[in-house]
Amino acid sequence: MAGQEAKPAAAAVTGFFKAIGKFFSNFGNAVAKGDIFVKLSLLWMGAGYARRKQYIKAVIVTILEVAAIWFTLTFAMDYVPKFGSLGTTEAEMVFNVETMQSEWNDYDNSFEILLFSLFSFVVWVAFFVFWMKNVMNVYELQKKDEAGEHINTFKEDLHDYVENKFHIVLLTLPVLGIVVFTVIPILLLILVAFTNYDQQHMPPTALFNWVGISNFISLFGGGGLTVTFGYAFVRILGWTLVWAFFSTLTTYIGGILLSLLLNNAKTRVPRLWRTLFMVTIAVPQFVSLLLVRNFFANTGIANTICSNIGLVDLLRNIGLLKTNYIPFLSSPGWAHVMIILLNIWIGVPYQMLIATGVLMNLPADQLESARVDGAKPYQIFMKITMPYLLFVTGPALVTDFVKNINNFNVIYLLTEDVFVTTNQAMANSQAKEVDLLVTWLFRLTQDYYNYKMASAIGIVVFIICAVFTLFAFNRMIAGSREEDYQ
Amino acid sequence: MSNNPKSTSTMVTASGSAAKKSFSKRQIRVFTHNLLIAVLAIIWLIPIVWLVCTSFGSYAGMNTSTFFPKEWGIDNYIKLFHPDSVAQFPSWFFNTFIIACANCVISTLFVLMVAYATSFIRFPARKPLMNVGVMLNLFPGMLAMIAVYFTLKTFNLTNSYAGLILVYSASSGLGYLIAKGFFDTVPRALCEAAKIDGCSEARIFFQIVVPISRPIIVYTVINSFLAPWMDFVYAKMILNAGVSSKYTVAIGLYKMLDKSLINSYFGQFCAGGVLVSIPISVLFVIMQKFYVEGVTGGAVKG
Repeated sequence: MAGQEAKPAAAAVTGFFKAIGKFFSNFGNAVAKGDIFVKLSLLWMGAGYARRKQYIKAVIVTILEVAAIWFTLTFAMDYVPKFGSLGTTEAEMVFNVETMQSEWNDYDNSFEILLFSLFSFVVWVAFFVFWMKNVMNVYELQKKDEAGEHINTFKEDLHDYVENKFHIVLLTLPVLGIVVFTVIPILLLILVAFTNYDQQHMPPTALFNWVGISNFISLFGGGGLTVTFGYAFVRILGWTLVWAFFSTLTTYIGGILLSLLLNNAKTRVPRLWRTLFMVTIAVPQFVSLLLVRNFFANTGIANTICSNIGLVDLLRNIGLLKTNYIPFLSSPGWAHVMIILLNIWIGVPYQMLIATGVLMNLPADQLESARVDGAKPYQIFMKITMPYLLFVTGPALVTDFVKNINNFNVIYLLTEDVFVTTNQAMANSQAKEVDLLVTWLFRLTQDYYNYKMASAIGIVVFIICAVFTLFAFNRMIAGSREEDYQ
Repeated sequence: MSNNPKSTSTMVTASGSAAKKSFSKRQIRVFTHNLLIAVLAIIWLIPIVWLVCTSFGSYAGMNTSTFFPKEWGIDNYIKLFHPDSVAQFPSWFFNTFIIACANCVISTLFVLMVAYATSFIRFPARKPLMNVGVMLNLFPGMLAMIAVYFTLKTFNLTNSYAGLILVYSASSGLGYLIAKGFFDTVPRALCEAAKIDGCSEARIFFQIVVPISRPIIVYTVINSFLAPWMDFVYAKMILNAGVSSKYTVAIGLYKMLDKSLINSYFGQFCAGGVLVSIPISVLFVIMQKFYVEGVTGGAVKG
């Protein structure tokens, strides 16, 4: 246990492989030591159950086995053999002599081949595990039978599912949902990154095929027509990291300062103030962000006020401004600063709520003894409050950083349609100076159907996030003191 | 933000005249302390105040000359409830409501099921499953969305309630950690006693755990009900056919701010924003105390 706490991430990985190894060795053991019916179960999965008179179970697993074979023959075989080429027959209109009409030929749809092949692989893996598990179960039955123990009837087996195996009942549907809507999509995304799926290769009218790592080469600046992608990628990655760093830091510090301010003994009606600050985050982001975007528009109210009080003229006179408005969200430098400032507006109340919750749980005995010993408020803050806050919210800081790398809402809602890039190289790769990797990725898929590059960017984002979260991961696993408070 | 000097200076003179010179040093410090908070609060609320004011202005477009509308009126609200080809607020509201209710039921069930299984039952695959969950949780949902979109498109589920509900609720089991943290604090002696008396796991769940855990269930219900109201990205991805009556509130309001429409719909946008924000704010305030507990997790002693 001590070793696990020191390196939980590594322990989790080795533990995972050990568990797999154990599973396989158990399976081998069952096959080697099992009687003829266990061995027969390798072919007909119901054999072992039928021998132990569990007929209903035998029928159920037989049906499942038939279903798996039927799935393979009628569904998987249509797609998996084409997985290597992703289809060869292009869609075209063919004149059918019998009906005297032009009809679509029997074309290949590369995307369906990719998706359904992947789906078949997942089903096969699941069935394979089930098949191995089945042999092991049958072997267990054999051992029970030989020892003369009671063998469950079907009713008892069913009852077991609300008794000892209740977790299976509970977890099946949610896990299925996660596999279909999170795991398979992630795998699919990884596969698409190695194809040329884009606007010129859109199924069903055109085929796409495997291109190896060429998408990654063009993303990292591999010359030719796609050289601008490398250019845009470096700049957007840079801004993404700068944004994530500053947005996390400013809201974190701001939140702590605000909560200290509100929780001070001098504050009158703290609840009222807290609620006022919370209004900002209770309003949905698409309302509040779209609103401030228009508040700070080139012809918006903020500009009117700034020119009324002479700020615009002042900035023009000292040469900071060439236009007769302040381009709050429409020119690179201004927009970068404004986005971080507006994020403070939207993010600080969240952090304030969290920091308030933490501050309320400050160890009172420590504060009291410090006060008795004559510590000044400043010293108490630096030596007790701050370390405690950092200790409790530290891991959240890392996850916040990763969340900000993927903070789609703030950037998209503030700058889409407002910020138009004048940098031709950026525009060539459909990027803008204020884009994060995720907003760039979103635009590539939604407006330009450039799925191959979007997938490659997606993988890069994942790697960046994974690196940063490995730090948090260690802490999270080690810090799960789940049985402490029971 | 640039207009706050005006409003704060009026505040200073107003409260300053009330303050007498006989105030002690401490009272002055208390006063400046609260004044600082008030200034911050005003800065924070300026855009919200502007939202409400604009929605009650009688001008349909964006008022760019003055902060407060020149003429007040409820025209924007009236127009909002008389749908035209662009603005179909009642049907957006209805769509979002349906999706939110469905998501609420499915997500709550999934979250509670996973949380209960991982908290109360010790089974061999528990730790590995939780580790995989941590990893998947760290994977940004946006990225998987592209592939989900392809998949839904293949099955013709884009631009439908079903597709959007699936997107919101199918993977919701991953968000079990907060509920699990709560379940971890439920006294085990109670469950063990019930077990000795011959209670099945299912009965323990429904007759012991659920009644004790009412707060976390309320939190989960509100949270999953709010998700479709707050979400923008997924809805934009799935509802891309451009049929106004099928939008959710978020997409509908976003489209109102299109360059060609903003001059005649900005007022309605504000009115819609106010109407949506009111119920959401109420629910948000109810659940905010759980939110704090959830984020800081087990690290905070209760």
